[in-house]
Amino acid sequence: MKRLGSLALAVALAFLPLAARADLNALTEAAKKEGELTWYVAHYTSEGAEDLGRGFTEMYGIKVNVVRTTAQVAYQRLLQDLKNNQTICDVFSSTDLGHYARLKAEGRLDKYVPENTPKISEAFRNFDPDGYFHTTAAGMVVLTYNTAKVKPEDAPKKWEDLLDIKWKGKVSTGHPGFSGYVGTWVLSMKKLYGWQYFDKLEKNKPQIGRSINDTVTALNAGERQVAAGADGSTLFSAARGNPLAVSYPSDGAVLIISPSAIMKGTKHPNAAKLFMEYLYTIEASKINAKHFGIPLRPEVPSPPGAKPMSEIKVIRPTVAEVEKGIPEVIEQWRDTFGN
Amino acid sequence: MSVTAPAIDTMPVRPVRASRFDSTWVLWIAIIAVLLFLVVSPFVYLVITSFQTERTGEFTFANYATAYGRARYIDALFNSLKLGAASAALAGVFAVPLAWAVARTDMPGRGLTRMLVLATFITPPYTGAVAWILLAGPNAGWLNRFYMMATGAEAGPFNIYSFTGLAVVIALYSFPYIFIFTTAALELVSSEMEDAANILGAGPWRTMRKVTLPLALPAILGGLIICFLEAIALFGSPAMIAIPARFNVVTTQLFQFFGNPVRVEVAAAYAMPLLGVTILLVLVQRLIVRRKGFVALTGKGGERRPILLGRWRWVVFGYAMFVAALAVFLPYIFLIQSAFAKAWGRGFLLDNITFANFRFILFEHATAAQSVINSFVYAGVSATIAVFLTLGVAYIVARRLIPFGGVLGFLCVAPFVIPGVVLAIGFYAAYAPPPLALYGTALILILAFTTRFLPVGYVNASAAINSLNPEMEEAVRVLGGSRLTALRRVVAPLLKRNLLGAWLLIFIPATRELSAAIFLYGPNTKVASVMIFDMSEEGNFERLAALALVLQVLTLPLLYLGQRALGRDFMLRRNAT
Repeated sequence: MKRLGSLALAVALAFLPLAARADLNALTEAAKKEGELTWYVAHYTSEGAEDLGRGFTEMYGIKVNVVRTTAQVAYQRLLQDLKNNQTICDVFSSTDLGHYARLKAEGRLDKYVPENTPKISEAFRNFDPDGYFHTTAAGMVVLTYNTAKVKPEDAPKKWEDLLDIKWKGKVSTGHPGFSGYVGTWVLSMKKLYGWQYFDKLEKNKPQIGRSINDTVTALNAGERQVAAGADGSTLFSAARGNPLAVSYPSDGAVLIISPSAIMKGTKHPNAAKLFMEYLYTIEASKINAKHFGIPLRPEVPSPPGAKPMSEIKVIRPTVAEVEKGIPEVIEQWRDTFGN
Repeated sequence: MSVTAPAIDTMPVRPVRASRFDSTWVLWIAIIAVLLFLVVSPFVYLVITSFQTERTGEFTFANYATAYGRARYIDALFNSLKLGAASAALAGVFAVPLAWAVARTDMPGRGLTRMLVLATFITPPYTGAVAWILLAGPNAGWLNRFYMMATGAEAGPFNIYSFTGLAVVIALYSFPYIFIFTTAALELVSSEMEDAANILGAGPWRTMRKVTLPLALPAILGGLIICFLEAIALFGSPAMIAIPARFNVVTTQLFQFFGNPVRVEVAAAYAMPLLGVTILLVLVQRLIVRRKGFVALTGKGGERRPILLGRWRWVVFGYAMFVAALAVFLPYIFLIQSAFAKAWGRGFLLDNITFANFRFILFEHATAAQSVINSFVYAGVSATIAVFLTLGVAYIVARRLIPFGGVLGFLCVAPFVIPGVVLAIGFYAAYAPPPLALYGTALILILAFTTRFLPVGYVNASAAINSLNPEMEEAVRVLGGSRLTALRRVVAPLLKRNLLGAWLLIFIPATRELSAAIFLYGPNTKVASVMIFDMSEEGNFERLAALALVLQVLTLPLLYLGQRALGRDFMLRRNAT
């Protein structure tokens, strides 16, 4: 019975691509007529986002206006566009899940389920049961450190280690008011240890940048020695010869699932749909892996040096927690850290 | 002025005086309409918005309650005022001695100093801020590293991430305003006045204090006020330095109000104290200028001789080079190092050198190269509009051509009271939606830049026109020429140098404008400053430095052309004397 079921599935899967391909061909033609799309993106580093945009242009000849900023800045722009009844953004890729919950509730998103969805790893599929937004990137907030200043055995092993007095003036973080990664991390720490975690962290005088990727610079420059950073941008920089390493915290790396969605009223609906499909292709996954992001397609190997997710203890807040929690922790953060 | 005479001879005799009058009035009305559009309408919208409930638009005071309901928000207000005062005072300390030395003394390297001040001036404040992060970061900053190397200390004394750090950085990149205004004024002071003081027994220092500086005082104060307003309206440097330094200023707080949820109404309410402070300052400046109104430039040229400083000339030169080291030499050394580095913190090692940063921003990045082109085009158009507009207004005001002309002058200065962030939102709200639907277009950026730099144009144009003796235009009028003829044939040629100066004074900051641009750019109209700011979010200093340097290198030829034009003009004037 079980075998029969899998056989049926295999047959179904064999036919599915044909139908899908026909749809995709029509979509591609329609998208090419539109010629361009605008992508507000907070996933990835600037370089990664540009690479992905260029990959799409090379594949389909459709120009991508890549607008890469931190999640909250991208959302801010989007809200202002909406306020002015302008639809400039076609595809919105934030790292703050709460944005999608709110946009969906306000009817700002277009429903579209990519044909390529069955091809990505199961863990990333069907993130929104209603099909308005879809996982297009995943990464983790982990402990990172400068290997020239900190020996692996001295590196922090769990999140509470950052509170150790020995790291006073040596910690770096991003800002939850800008970065979706940092916002999610702050929320997770608050859940684990209460807000006291940050009252104590404040005593260690962390250097607060904006993007989570700013911690990479702070460590590279030797301005700081340890950080709550993103695995992808840190490992990417380490691969280019910088003295950086990642330490997966024993109390849980914070998993960030980042979705993308098509904005309602987009002027380039077909290009936007095609772009969503593109983000699920092997090519896009390869570009993502090149920048040390977790590839969505199982065919693409994980980036070198990154632990497979199965070997890591990960924690993540729910969508509901993020939606309510991030605006709160931003305020709390500003009260504690003064800005 | 012999140039004007033949020009007037060739003018046909105009039979009807009334028609001439009409054409003049049409121009005045056009200027007023443009000012209403550029300044009044976004401004009015801002004020109305501050009393409106979101969505319903009902009248309310709730925005004010929210805007001033938290200690953190109030602190930010005071921080901005303190920052403005500290930055302006520091800028004065940097600028005034240099201006005096360059304009009036025999200090060696005057040309060099002028060049270095210009190099400072074309350095965007946020580029300077980044350079100073490289220099004075508390652990990795080069100055601290050198200090630790030299003394063996555990930590260095400099910390850019502090109030002082921010004030110094802002002062270092705004002092050229004071310098430019002050030198321009000092160059107009003829030596005869100083000679008079000398003859009456005053030494060189007393003469400077009692004669030269007071003559330049309106210009110095004008510059100080501009520095103050520049400092409180700046967004980029505080965003880069004050966030890690853990304090807020008004602009960073406003940015937060525009965040999630967007509270434009609260932001509008929150901008009001700055408005009040600035109006007050402008009034103060006008009182001072009015009380000491004099005509320093007449049809006759006075003789201008440098003051001989003797041994002191090297001391003064040393000071000039010290300021230049802080503003130009040190920052650029480390910006260049960073732009060519794989990782700036690894220093000047050969294996740390790469061209990849330039390759990335010029060829691999989808929008970086285009953003530089956008910046130059928008700035050029804005500067041209602003110069001619403010010249017209300054002329109307100075010659009292219409009743209440002063209102026009005030309107030109008014944009300074609105931080770029808020100005942008005013523009956004007023002109982004239909019927104009300018959101995301180049035009909205150009209009915002024009408005934002009207004050610079106006201060310049009005200082220039106030220094012109009306008798020269009166000669045109007596000979039957119209007001416009006088403007075109006498005022504009006489002020050619000032106009070009004003154009550069607007063009260069417009190429680096960030505070307004960050809210008005669209995906196809991203300017270089926004690009650089976005890169700073991730702390990509290597690429950011590369882009910043490209921007600087592209500004140089323009600057060279401008200087040549200015120089030639200046030489002619000297020869004529």
